Amino acid sequence: MYIIQNAMQNLLRNKGRNLMMAAIIFVVIVSSVVALIINNTASGVINDYKTRFGSEVYLTVNMEKVIQESDGSSRIARPTIPAEQLLAFASSDYLLSTKMTAGGRGNSDDLKAIDEDKGPGGGPMLSMGPVPGGGGPGDSNLSSIPKTRQYYYHLFANQYDDFESGSRELTEGSRFPEKSGECLISQELLENSGLAIGDTIKINSDINDPGTGPGDETYYDIEFQLTIVGTYQDLTDEYGNSMMENAFTNRRNEIFMYIDDLASVVTEGLMGIDVNATYYLKDPDLLEAFTAELRAKGLKETFDVTTDEASYNAIVGPVVAMKGISLTFVAIVLAFGAIIVALLASLAVRERKYEIGVLRAMGMKKSRVALGLWTETITITAFCLVIGLAVGGFAAQPITNILLDQQVEAAEQAQSNSFMPQPGGSGPVAIGGGPAGPTVTAGPAPGFFGQTSAETIKSIDVAINLETILEIIVIALVLSSLAGLIAIRRITKYEPMKILMERN
Amino acid sequence: MTTILSLDNVSYAYEGTTKNVLQNMSADFETGLVYTIIGKSGAGKTTLLSLLSGLDVATDGRILVGKASLKKINRDTYRSRHVGVVFQSYNLLTNATALQNIVLSMSISHCPQKNKKAYAYALLKKIGIDRETADRKILKLSGGEQQRVAIARALAHNPAILIADEPTGNLDKETEDDILNIFARLAREEDRCIIIVTHSKRVTAIADVVYRIQDGCLTAENG
Repeated sequence: MYIIQNAMQNLLRNKGRNLMMAAIIFVVIVSSVVALIINNTASGVINDYKTRFGSEVYLTVNMEKVIQESDGSSRIARPTIPAEQLLAFASSDYLLSTKMTAGGRGNSDDLKAIDEDKGPGGGPMLSMGPVPGGGGPGDSNLSSIPKTRQYYYHLFANQYDDFESGSRELTEGSRFPEKSGECLISQELLENSGLAIGDTIKINSDINDPGTGPGDETYYDIEFQLTIVGTYQDLTDEYGNSMMENAFTNRRNEIFMYIDDLASVVTEGLMGIDVNATYYLKDPDLLEAFTAELRAKGLKETFDVTTDEASYNAIVGPVVAMKGISLTFVAIVLAFGAIIVALLASLAVRERKYEIGVLRAMGMKKSRVALGLWTETITITAFCLVIGLAVGGFAAQPITNILLDQQVEAAEQAQSNSFMPQPGGSGPVAIGGGPAGPTVTAGPAPGFFGQTSAETIKSIDVAINLETILEIIVIALVLSSLAGLIAIRRITKYEPMKILMERN
Repeated sequence: MTTILSLDNVSYAYEGTTKNVLQNMSADFETGLVYTIIGKSGAGKTTLLSLLSGLDVATDGRILVGKASLKKINRDTYRSRHVGVVFQSYNLLTNATALQNIVLSMSISHCPQKNKKAYAYALLKKIGIDRETADRKILKLSGGEQQRVAIARALAHNPAILIADEPTGNLDKETEDDILNIFARLAREEDRCIIIVTHSKRVTAIADVVYRIQDGCLTAENG
């Protein structure tokens, strides 16, 4: 107890020296607080975005590999992933969730399509996106397509984005298909066809083997028996942004089915039904292991397994850079801080050699002398810690704003410099991303030339949290203990008689 | 009177040298007596004092505290509990008050007094330091006052042995007399063993036993 009392008295007795020590420790602590607040907040933001962007997996075709494996053949077939493989991939333990979607075309004698008089569309080689284009009566493509391969209805499974956005809504008593053999159609189609919820309809469709090219296709007819479990109201324009106006492109003729019904009919090499799978990893760091599992399950080497790094980098890049700066800063501050504290501790012991000699001559043990010096340092540090946390907490936000502004500016400059397309570039291309895409897809590509429309993080709110406080306390303890250790090391070298004789 | 401290063939050579500055010294120190150690400058008086006070270790021979060898007693404990040392240059904590010096010494020695401040004030008063002076910093005290504080600090933990190195060297005659009276009283009335290293004949005059150091040897001059 007397050691603490004596330490407190010493702090008051040697105000000048202790204030200087306090000032240095204060600067170290404030700098560390600001840097750690920035670092921890940035880490939180990065992890958040990493989870959101980094966990979505893209299976994209690597055209370079496809060309390499083509053996100089004039016709290069785009590789596809069979639906059964996509389903097998979904069973991976590395995945948090999987979203399987599918799209196709169909006809039905039980339905009367909206705008039936405008004719069918959706030939076999036409695009099959969620809002696909289709051939109208004047479409030159249609003239070469057999009447039996022209369609009035779009078939979708698990594609409910319009319902989530509010542009479509379920009518009262309706629900989405939950099991095989169920479907959801528009209220207008239901009424136009003179049907009621609970009625069963038959949908005809096909899948095809493209063979060696046009004219060599082999079609396989398929049939779905579906019970109408609900209807929806479409609140948008019938044709949306479609350039073609026919029954096939009319949004009221879209039929929603259960995913297994559409996906299960597709096998490797067959086209006509798009099956998409979007995989979400539990942790972005599991990508490598997940890739290995996909390869083991048969994913061809011509597919790259990636995450959306372009968007991630564009959004989080400045924050990552700022985090790097703050980390470097805290490392430098701590390194210099440690050196200065060590020097000060060493000088303090040297300066107080006489005092130490007297205390030792009075019989005070070396350990207690060191404990006294350490108590003084800890007290100064604790005092600086309280004020430093408050000051650092206030200073962190404006410093963050300045740093982030600089990084955003640098990132935008770098992005505008790299916007020019690079000649000869042939990066990964998404399956199903363009016209005439294959029927089995695995999600869209992040973007061309590494560009993305993702919005960069331009401001973050920083605040001191428990993690930062604990880190600072540990840093402060380490620094003061370092000072204490140096004091102990020096004190153990001193013999009281020598000190006092030198003084005398 | 009991023998409290003994030198048994004690020799000492400085670190890195082979020549003994103190050679085969033997002597007994008893309670209730005042001892003075005299000798020329450089004879080894202060060295002997540092050995007796446990600040240094003999290269040969034994120093006995009672019947126990000092080598077997923790020297820190010996200094803080058994012996009080008054240094020639006082060696007080200069940025502390006289009172704080005494209280700290008591704390280091784990003195049982509950009210250490009151005890320290009383001790200082006994040595001739009033309350006001006791609350002043050491640097603001005169040489005589500092010497008194040094004696009070040496006595603070109530040691049986008091060792003083030229305790009156810097003092005027009147103060010297006061200090010497204090030493004599401590020996005769409080049964302490007082060992004083000195050049002063006035100090030697109050001694019961005078030892002289010459050529590294210790010899008794009178008793």
